[in-house]
Order: sequence, then structure tokens, then C-alpha cells
Amino acid sequence: MNAQQHATTGAAPSNATLGAPRIEVKARATEPEGQARPDLVEKVVIRDMSFFYKDFEAVRGINLALYDRHVTAFIGPSGCGKSTLLRTLNRIYDLYPGQRATGEILIDGHNILEPGQDLNLLRAKVGMVFQKPTPFPMSIFDNVAFGIRLYEKLPAAELEERVESALRRAALWEEVKDKLKQSGLSLSGGQQQRLCIARAIAVRPEILLLDEPASALDPISTQKIEELISELKSDYCIAIVTHNMQQAARSSDYTAFMYLGELVEFDETETIFTKPRDRRTEDYITGRFG
Amino acid sequence: MTDIAARQLPRSSNGKIGDPLFRGVATFFAVLVLVILSGVMIALVHGALPALGHFGFGFLLTDSWNPVTDKFGALAPIVGTLLTSAIAMLIGIPLAFGVAVFITELCPVWLKRPLSTIIELLAAVPSIIYGIWGLFVFAPFMQSYVEPAIVNTLGNVPGIGRFFAGPPLGIGILTAGIILGIMVLPFISSIMRDVFETVPLILKESAYGLGSTTWEVMWQVVLPFTRIGVVGGIMLGLGRALGETMAVTFVIGNAHRVQTSILAPGTTISASLANEFTEAVGDLYLSSLFALGFILFVITFIVLAIAKLMLVQMSKRAGT
Repeated sequence: MNAQQHATTGAAPSNATLGAPRIEVKARATEPEGQARPDLVEKVVIRDMSFFYKDFEAVRGINLALYDRHVTAFIGPSGCGKSTLLRTLNRIYDLYPGQRATGEILIDGHNILEPGQDLNLLRAKVGMVFQKPTPFPMSIFDNVAFGIRLYEKLPAAELEERVESALRRAALWEEVKDKLKQSGLSLSGGQQQRLCIARAIAVRPEILLLDEPASALDPISTQKIEELISELKSDYCIAIVTHNMQQAARSSDYTAFMYLGELVEFDETETIFTKPRDRRTEDYITGRFG
Repeated sequence: MTDIAARQLPRSSNGKIGDPLFRGVATFFAVLVLVILSGVMIALVHGALPALGHFGFGFLLTDSWNPVTDKFGALAPIVGTLLTSAIAMLIGIPLAFGVAVFITELCPVWLKRPLSTIIELLAAVPSIIYGIWGLFVFAPFMQSYVEPAIVNTLGNVPGIGRFFAGPPLGIGILTAGIILGIMVLPFISSIMRDVFETVPLILKESAYGLGSTTWEVMWQVVLPFTRIGVVGGIMLGLGRALGETMAVTFVIGNAHRVQTSILAPGTTISASLANEFTEAVGDLYLSSLFALGFILFVITFIVLAIAKLMLVQMSKRAGT
């Protein structure tokens, strides 16, 4: 398949230096204007990955690379496997018996699908934010401190600093600094979602997975989340699943279009939305189906 | 047209009669509950008045129980009731939590249903069976193995040793408490299991997604999220432990004395009532038993009130 081949060639230069923690890839010829980063770093490399719900193959033979400090959007119609693909990256699917992934997913050159992988450490490194805000039933402060406390025994002052900086990073600090003791559930939906982002980045992950993070939010909150995403990409490798094509166009650098469990096309967002090579991609982004 | 009119007519007249009728019947049932409850209350207080009037407040604080000299005090049964229930909760709650966590989070799918059913069957065992089993199987086991071990270890610890001292009789407060713990386990665990399953998957996933272990997810996220149901389940178990009669009567020893050791025989309110109503001669004796019943009522009420207060406090802390 044309698209898959393309994705593979995109990742091809890394083959020589496999296993090195950071893999430098030479700048691509089609670098869009305004993108002055010749040093793309492949943070995540997915190789021939398939995913099964029991015997049903929901995702087939994915080859894809996610670049550090860039946002990659997964788009496609419902049931195309984009959320499933996202959920393999922190192996959250492992909670459910009968779900398994084959192939390889390399993060910094290390295959996380190996049986010996420490899932808790993996998930500390790969933060995730879900479709709906999921504040824990505890105070705003404790929500953000939750993940930090799992891994680090910090003195109170340092913990407060970490919580504050996470909340600032999530653009929530000004709104909640006077009510940190209040429940996370007392916030509005948009604030709750930013709280969840703060909670995820407080652990200092390297990769952020956003599974339709704005699908339950109003337009203004959505805009704030999108602004936040472009803020955060200076520090993280971000993967976002979205149903909203404008959102993908606005907030991502790269876009992967998936259809019926396969990766149809992967390229720079601008290319996908202006000159898609695959007919199905074009049909989808122009709203002819999905 | 006439068809529709003919069909509508009886329908609307039904509504006119049916609705008030239904409302009346429902109200009647609701009021009936209140009437029965206050009837029980009044009867208890009425029966208890002579004893309470005769002994006054001291009734609660003396442990003499002498039908010959007509001296009665409720201290021993009150202490016995509270102690056995406390032991039952100490054993029952952690076990039930463990069972519920196992069933909801850790158990392989094929084992889930059989295990749940078995736990629920435990609740269906009549209490008299627990009593017989307790007396003939469990008490001798306690007597020959568990209690000597406790006496030889905890019994020698300075300070708390006297709570675990004395001859290993097999029957006593501890044995009754353990049996009660086993009896309340299925109630608490099946409610915990039900409320744990109401936790949205996405909430658990976000806790796991931060790198939490199963224990951390259960203890720090699921338990606070389900606290109302969990406390409710514990209260149901506690209510059962406080009021349980038959099994306790078999294994507690029925001694109207307050002793420091939890190995010693004692009594509970319901065990005293079950044992002595048939042989209560004399008005004061009978009235004292009524007073015991009234006290049990009050204890249960206080426990419920404390549970409600606890929930309010917990909600304040979580801010919901």
C-alpha cells in the first residue's frame, strides 16, 4: 500500500541507528514553511503493529513514527482504530483480558510490547488524557499531586512547587490558586479537563496521549485546550485522537488518517489537508463520508 | 372518530379514580412503616420503664445480673455487644474489601460468577447453622489451637497482655466476634463488589494511566469514589452483627460479667434476651430485659447516626 510504504520510508533512516535512545532523522524535503526544525527526533516508532480484541483484528500492520516536540493527530471515521492505536502506546489495553498487540512499538528505541515491560513506569513516562474529564474524588491539589506521590517522596514545599508548575503549565493556576483545597469535581468541564492535563504532566512524562480531549467540552474550553496543546508541544511528544477535522488541522504538525483498522496516509498536516494522495483521505477530509 | 372517543372515555375516567387510589394506597404503606416502628418503640419503652425507673442511669453502668436479689445492670451485655461487633468488623471489613477487590479487579473472568455465588451463599446460611458449627467445630478448634497461641504470645506482652489472658475455653467474646465476622463478610463484600463495579472504567483507566498499581487505584481512587456505598455496606454488616442472636448465643458463654480478657465468656444484649425471656419471673426481671432491648435499639440508632455524620465529614473532605 502506498500510504504504508510512505510511512515506512519516513521511519527508514532510523534502521541503522536502532537502539540508540534518540534517533536523528535528516530533514525531509517537504518541510513546510515556518517549520524551522530540521532535527526531527523519532520518539515513538511503531513497526508492523497489529491489535486484537480476542480474535478480531482491529488494527492492522501499522508502521508509523511520532516525532518528539511535535503533535501528531490521528483522524478517521468512528471504529477505524485510531483510539485503539493510541491505547497501545501506554499499554492501557493490558487492563482487559483478551486484548493484545503484536509487532513492535519502540519508545526511545525500547520495545514496550515486550512481556517484561514495567507497565507502571511506562505509564509514568506516557501520560494520557481521556474523552471525558476524570478528576479523582479529592481536592484539586491532591489530584495533581496524585501521580507525583506515586513515584516520589517530596518534601511538602517541593511538592507544592511541582503542583503549581503543573497547574501553570496547564493554564489553570490563575483560576484555581485560591481554591486548591476544593474538590476537583467542583470545577467546570473545561477546567476539569485542564486539571487532568496538569495531573498527567505533573508526573513529568515524555509523551502525552490525548484521546479526543475536547469532545465533551464547549467551544471556548475546546479552544483553550487547543492553545494548551500547542503550548505543550515544546516539551512533549504529543499524540491526539480527534473527530474534529479543524482541530486536527489547527493543532497538529503531522496527521495520520486511519480507515478500517489500517493506516491509509501519514504526512505533514498541511499536506494531508491540502494535497492528500489517497482518495479515501480526500473523501474523508472533504466530508464525503465518516 | 367515534371509535377514538369511545376508547378515550374509559381511559380518562380510569385516571380520575386510579391515580388518587394509587396515591392513597402508597401513602398508606409508607405511613404503616412509621406506625409499626413507633409501635415497637412505644412497647419497648413502656416495658422498660419499671426497670429504668428502679435502677435509674446506673442500669447502664453496673454488671450485676442477679434474678434472685432482683439486681440488674446492663453493662455486661452492652460491652459484649459492642466488643463482639467491633471484632466482627475488624475481621469482616478487610476480608470483605479483599474479596471485593479480587472479584472486581483481579479475578479471571471464568471465576467471577462462581465466586460471587459462593460468597452470596455464605449469606444464605441460617444463623443457627453458624451457631452449631461454632459450638461443635470452631470453638474446640479455638480452644486447642488458636487461644493457647494467643495466650502464650499476646498474653505475655506487658500492658495489653491482660486483654488476651485467661484459660482457653474456646467459647467467649473472641470466638463470637470471629463467627460474626464470617457472618457479616458476605453482606459487606457483595455490596462493595456492586459499588466497585459502578466506578466508570475511564476513571480507573486514568488512575492506571498515571502508573498506579491496582492497590493504589483501589485504595486511592475507587474507594473514595464509592465511599457512600461502602459505608452503607459496612453499616448493613454492623447492624447484623449488633443484632445477631442465635450464633452468638451458642458460642459466647452467656456470662453476665465484664472481664478484661477477650477470651473470657461474656454475653450480648440479643443473646441475653434469647436466653432469658422464657425464664424471666418477676416484673423487674422482665422489665430489665425490655430495657436491654431498648438499649440495643438506641445503640443501632447511634451507629446509624455516626455513619451519616461520617459520610458528611468525608464528603466535606472530598468536597463533593
